[in-house]
Amino acid sequence: MPRYQAPLADIRFVLEDLLRVEQLATLPGYEDATPDLIFPVIAEGARLCEEVLFPLNQSGDAEGCRLEKGRVFTPAGFPAAYRAYIEGGWTRLACAPEDGGMGLPELVYFVMEEMVSSANLAFGIYPGLSRGVYNAVRRHGEESLKRRVLPRLADGSWAGTMCLTEPQAGTDLGLVRTRAEPDGAGGYRITGTKIFISAGDHDLTENILHLVLARLPDAPGGSHGISLFLVPKIQVRDDQGTLGTANAVSCGGLEHKMGIRGSSTCVLNFDGAAGWLVGQPHKGLPAMFTMMNAARLAVGLQGLGLAEVAYQHALAYARDRLQGRALKGARYPNRPADPLIVHPDIRRMLLTMKAYNEGGRALAYWIGLHLDHEARHPDLRTRQAAGELVALLIPVLKALLTDLGFEVANLALQIHGGHGYIQDNGIEQYVRDARITQVYEGTNGIQALDLVGRKLPQATGRLLRHFCHPLAAELEELGRDGADPVLAALAAPLAKAFGRFQQATVTIAIRGLADPDEAAAAASDYLRLFGLVALGALWLRMARVAQEKLAAGATNPLYRGKLDTARFFMAKLLPQTGALFAAIQAGAAVVMDPEDERF
Amino acid sequence: MDLHHATVVGAGVMGSGIAAHLANAGIPVLLTDARLGAATEAVARLLKAEPAPFMHPDRARLITPVDLPEALDRLTNSDWILEAVTEDPVVKADLYRTLDRVRKPGSVVSSNTSTIPLSKLIAGQSDRFASDFMITHFFNPPRYMRLLELVAGPNTRPEAIAAIAKCADRRLGKGVVMCRDTPGFIANRIGAFWLQAAINAAFDWGLTIEEADAVCGRPFGLPKTGVFGLLDLIGLDLLPHVTGSLAAALAPDDPFRALVRPQPLLSRLIQEGYTGRKGKGGFYRLGRRPDGSRIKLALDLASGAERPSEKAILDSLQAARGGLTALFEHADRGGAYARAVMLPTLAYAAERVPEVSDDIDAVDRALRLGYNWKYGPFELIDRLGTGWFADRLTTEGLPVPPLVSAAAGRPFYRVEGTALQALSNDGAYHPVVRPAGVLVLADIKRQSQPVAHNPSAALWTLGDGVLCLEFTSKMNTLDPQVFAMIDDALARIGDGRGIWKALVIYNEGEAFSVGANLGLAMILYNVGLWDQIAERIAEGQRCYLALRNAPFPVVSAPSGLALGGGCEILLYSHAVQAHAESYIGLVETGVGVLPAWGGCTALLSRHSQNPTRPGGPMPPIAQTFETIALAKVSRSADDARRLNYLTTNDGITMNRDRLLADAKARALALWTPDYHPPAPPPPLALPGPSGRLALALQIEALQLQGKATAHDGVVAKAVATVLTGGDTDLTDLVSEAELLALERQEFMKLVRTPATLDRIDHVLATGKPLRN
Ligand SMILES: Cc1cc2nc3c(=O)[nH]c(=O)nc-3n(C[C@H](O)[C@H](O)[C@H](O)COP(=O)(O)OP(=O)(O)OC[C@H]3O[C@@H](n4cnc5c(N)ncnc54)[C@H](O)[C@@H]3O)c2cc1C
Repeated sequence: MPRYQAPLADIRFVLEDLLRVEQLATLPGYEDATPDLIFPVIAEGARLCEEVLFPLNQSGDAEGCRLEKGRVFTPAGFPAAYRAYIEGGWTRLACAPEDGGMGLPELVYFVMEEMVSSANLAFGIYPGLSRGVYNAVRRHGEESLKRRVLPRLADGSWAGTMCLTEPQAGTDLGLVRTRAEPDGAGGYRITGTKIFISAGDHDLTENILHLVLARLPDAPGGSHGISLFLVPKIQVRDDQGTLGTANAVSCGGLEHKMGIRGSSTCVLNFDGAAGWLVGQPHKGLPAMFTMMNAARLAVGLQGLGLAEVAYQHALAYARDRLQGRALKGARYPNRPADPLIVHPDIRRMLLTMKAYNEGGRALAYWIGLHLDHEARHPDLRTRQAAGELVALLIPVLKALLTDLGFEVANLALQIHGGHGYIQDNGIEQYVRDARITQVYEGTNGIQALDLVGRKLPQATGRLLRHFCHPLAAELEELGRDGADPVLAALAAPLAKAFGRFQQATVTIAIRGLADPDEAAAAASDYLRLFGLVALGALWLRMARVAQEKLAAGATNPLYRGKLDTARFFMAKLLPQTGALFAAIQAGAAVVMDPEDERF
Repeated sequence: MDLHHATVVGAGVMGSGIAAHLANAGIPVLLTDARLGAATEAVARLLKAEPAPFMHPDRARLITPVDLPEALDRLTNSDWILEAVTEDPVVKADLYRTLDRVRKPGSVVSSNTSTIPLSKLIAGQSDRFASDFMITHFFNPPRYMRLLELVAGPNTRPEAIAAIAKCADRRLGKGVVMCRDTPGFIANRIGAFWLQAAINAAFDWGLTIEEADAVCGRPFGLPKTGVFGLLDLIGLDLLPHVTGSLAAALAPDDPFRALVRPQPLLSRLIQEGYTGRKGKGGFYRLGRRPDGSRIKLALDLASGAERPSEKAILDSLQAARGGLTALFEHADRGGAYARAVMLPTLAYAAERVPEVSDDIDAVDRALRLGYNWKYGPFELIDRLGTGWFADRLTTEGLPVPPLVSAAAGRPFYRVEGTALQALSNDGAYHPVVRPAGVLVLADIKRQSQPVAHNPSAALWTLGDGVLCLEFTSKMNTLDPQVFAMIDDALARIGDGRGIWKALVIYNEGEAFSVGANLGLAMILYNVGLWDQIAERIAEGQRCYLALRNAPFPVVSAPSGLALGGGCEILLYSHAVQAHAESYIGLVETGVGVLPAWGGCTALLSRHSQNPTRPGGPMPPIAQTFETIALAKVSRSADDARRLNYLTTNDGITMNRDRLLADAKARALALWTPDYHPPAPPPPLALPGPSGRLALALQIEALQLQGKATAHDGVVAKAVATVLTGGDTDLTDLVSEAELLALERQEFMKLVRTPATLDRIDHVLATGKPLRN
């Protein structure tokens, strides 16, 4: 039977030992966010996830959502769980105090996002989207609009959605056709059909705010002609948020899908629905992207959350399930067979999962810390550098952690053998649920294009500086005589992989300048190469912290475990960079030469 | 007939500008004006004008400003008298009669008129005067605009025409286009039509000025100012004069006349002093935001109000990337605008042959050189296809010009065998003949295959065993591929006694080279590949030394910018043949580094070997230091000589079109069967730390005066370290190799400082230097 226990020990290690989370309280506005506050909050969140959300995961998947008379009902237990969620204040966690929020750091929100995704991804999508809308309106909305809606989003009484996709406009949002006409009174009337809208309708909140991409009458074609609108499900009469009549938005259907079945995925019809403009006319896509950046990080954390819970299942199973004997003789002779965990290939899979998960967590939280620096650090240069690092790593984190999330869920299924394939055992759900994270919020292919096409060329590669220079310095230091031999042994393979990454970057930059196909054809391989090096960097830093703790007499077995897993990562996983490097150097011709007809 | 001395009558903007340019060409000029003191004032104004009319302020000494009465006594030794007085036939006629009484027999008189027909100008003048008279129509500013329209009368002496044409071509560097005596000649006739059509259509189709300028700009290879930006530049008040007088002179059925209409907004702007950049601004203006920062404003054509300028976004502009026809065929207002402006303009141009010239190439050259169009009208029609163009005109209900019908779908220009040919109004193709002494790389590229090429450079054969190295990278930046091509050229030419004898480094880009590809260097930097940056520096030094030591002549022929590494390549060439408009400089300190492809070393050696320099070790160091630390860029080839970027052995060519032929001739003249490359510079006795200290004191003094920033100081001290020889002292000699090693060492130190990075980031982001 599935089980989930929030990985609080590892979370604490990353926050406290690796990232020195106590520094957050030195940032203006975060004075209260001391470890004394943060860790109890996280523990409370963990309890909610384990006790309230997790028990609804399998049942929600089995039951799915229902559309009845134009209204969507979530699976049994979801509305009550949502009430518990808002009563616990979780929607307010990282909202601003002036909106009734708690104003806690993004980093704390990251932790919660991971745990919720582990416990019940389908449920987590509802409040997750509200948070996206909150961010977008807070950043781009007019004051009056903010006053009207932000407190409602913060207290969770209203929810939000992101309405981008249309039948003919998926990745290419320049094709959006939904229209917006000024109503003559400062508002707009929105008409069109959106599909695949997560949380498009549900029974969790009294109102839903749809953030909609649409075209104004005089808009130029393509992506320069799209504006952003906020369209409520129920009209809002005044600043107090008094609800009026229903708006002309209706749910025209629910999709039946592979995973996240407890999350509603709706066709939404806008039929002259009243809405407000958010941000400047025709500047909707850039505005939407500020929200999408946060959303992409959140999806990365979804991948991590699923990987974590899948690993927990697999580990428990590998300890319980008795099959075969260790190759060098029985390890548990008094049992009818040895548990799976004695077998090298099972251990390889478990360590792969553990290395990806703990490395991914460190990487994600490290980015979360930089988000907080970007927002709050008193020094302009530090803010800028942090912002640039985050911008660079957003596509990496999203694609890497969701690809690995799926890989890890798949490995978890593999460890379960045939039992993994049986629905009641709950493991195949993770494979199905994980699959969507690679697709929505910009497919992982698009993340790779964002990395090579936008992030690398920006300011001639300056974004890379914030990642590369510190790592180059660390590796240089550990490469010198007299460096700690344990760490030096970890640094050597990483230095090699980093060298490949540096050279691959230069190759793509140079070739890509002459021929954009060159950059695009290498993009996915390059993103993975980057991701592995980034995980390597975090593993090296974790190992260093662990080594220091052990040297200082610490006895927590977690520290030894970190060194073991770091060694495994460097030796067994990082060498993939060699193959990726070769594939990148191979160039675009092998991909582009075959004529379309010859496929 | 040689022209030794000239007189310019009329010290207005054009007259004084022409006088300045004659001085640039080394021709002594008498500048005079009927208004007392005007000529003297004009010279003072010239010295302050931007862009500078003089190639070097010293050139002003060749101009003698005098009042008209005195000039009449002194112009007897002038071979050429240029008249640039008010556009008033009566004033001109009077002046001509006076001039005719005193001028030297056989001297040429020419008018810079742009609106009065030659026939009218010579009416009532003596036969002798008429035989010595012609129109020489310069474009503003005379130093920089390359077109000279030359109109001869029926009785003008052929030798006089030849002498002036030759002087204009070779000494003034102009592209001479022979014109008929028709109103507006060629360039203004078509250019004014284009301007007027573009203004009208912007109102008619409701475009913003940014949209109009974006459509009638880049996509057509027209100057990126577009139309409204151009009007701001030339002055809004000029337009009504030009269009008015032109329309009046044209036949009643000339399509131009139908275009001229009242422009209330334009009149209002002129009245309120918004005459363009010379006034309070024009269609575009600079304003301030509430917070005091500067903001570019644009005029709304409908309301006449200012608003913040916005980049034009039109679907048709996107479509234009797929070709000009896509722009013309687009349904949005950008497409409509392109049709409304460019179809009639191109048709009007095509109708003007043979009226204004028999020669389509003359028309194209006139617009290219006089209006800075990248392609002339016939070249533009070829880009559309003459068949497509004719069909489109018919669709729009416009008549198809006979010449376009005669083309019958064939292009106006074609390459037949190796020769470029142009269609003429007899329906047949005739070769486009380049004058003797003009060698055009574009022709060679049309006619032959490169000897070798890669994405950043190519090798072409110029004939007679001379190989040409062309940079082809963006802005002709220097990167590893360029160096690979240099190596390739060196290997091919070998000892210079085989099929190849010499190398000319030349290109026809806007800039000869803006130096190292900073972007590439920054990528290496950003990913932390320090070693590879150091390798690239060493690689550049090796490559330039190999050029310098080549056993065959290496001649560089720059035109436009030759900066940083682009300047260093000149310093390591065996000879330079520079276009007069060459802007040469070691500008590395501007981005927080120092010249490290041998620039410090070579310039120091040059200053040290100067036989006329003051004694002692410090003067050459101080001179080199000043040039490099202040990142001085020459304002012309003439100026570059004074900065020692060029030597007196290096040649200067006034006419851009003659540069390549001159460079090739130079290379062949240098070649001998036992050719030896220039000797490496002898080792230098340099002062080391004591000299460095002296320079450091100077830097600190500048910093105290606020003339140098903190990081200027850091960079200048690194330059000082190299130029004083590092840790040497005067009893030791420092070799070239040691100086080069110092360059590398100091470069690598600077490139790792955050302030240098900020400079490079800033330049890459904004194109402007950062003073930090
Ligand atoms: C369960 C679920 C929930 C969703 N929730 C939302 C939501 O809340 N709001 C919302 O607006 N949308 C939502 N979506 C839509 C989702 O974001 C899109 O499906 C996704 O962006 C891809 O668009 P598409 O399906 O049209 O695929 P397409 O765009 O047709 O892409 C097909 C494939 O081609 C690739 N591709 C496309 N263009 C390029 C290119 N230029 N270069 C290289 N490869 C390319 C893609 O990577 C992909 O692999 C959801 C989808 C699902 C399935």
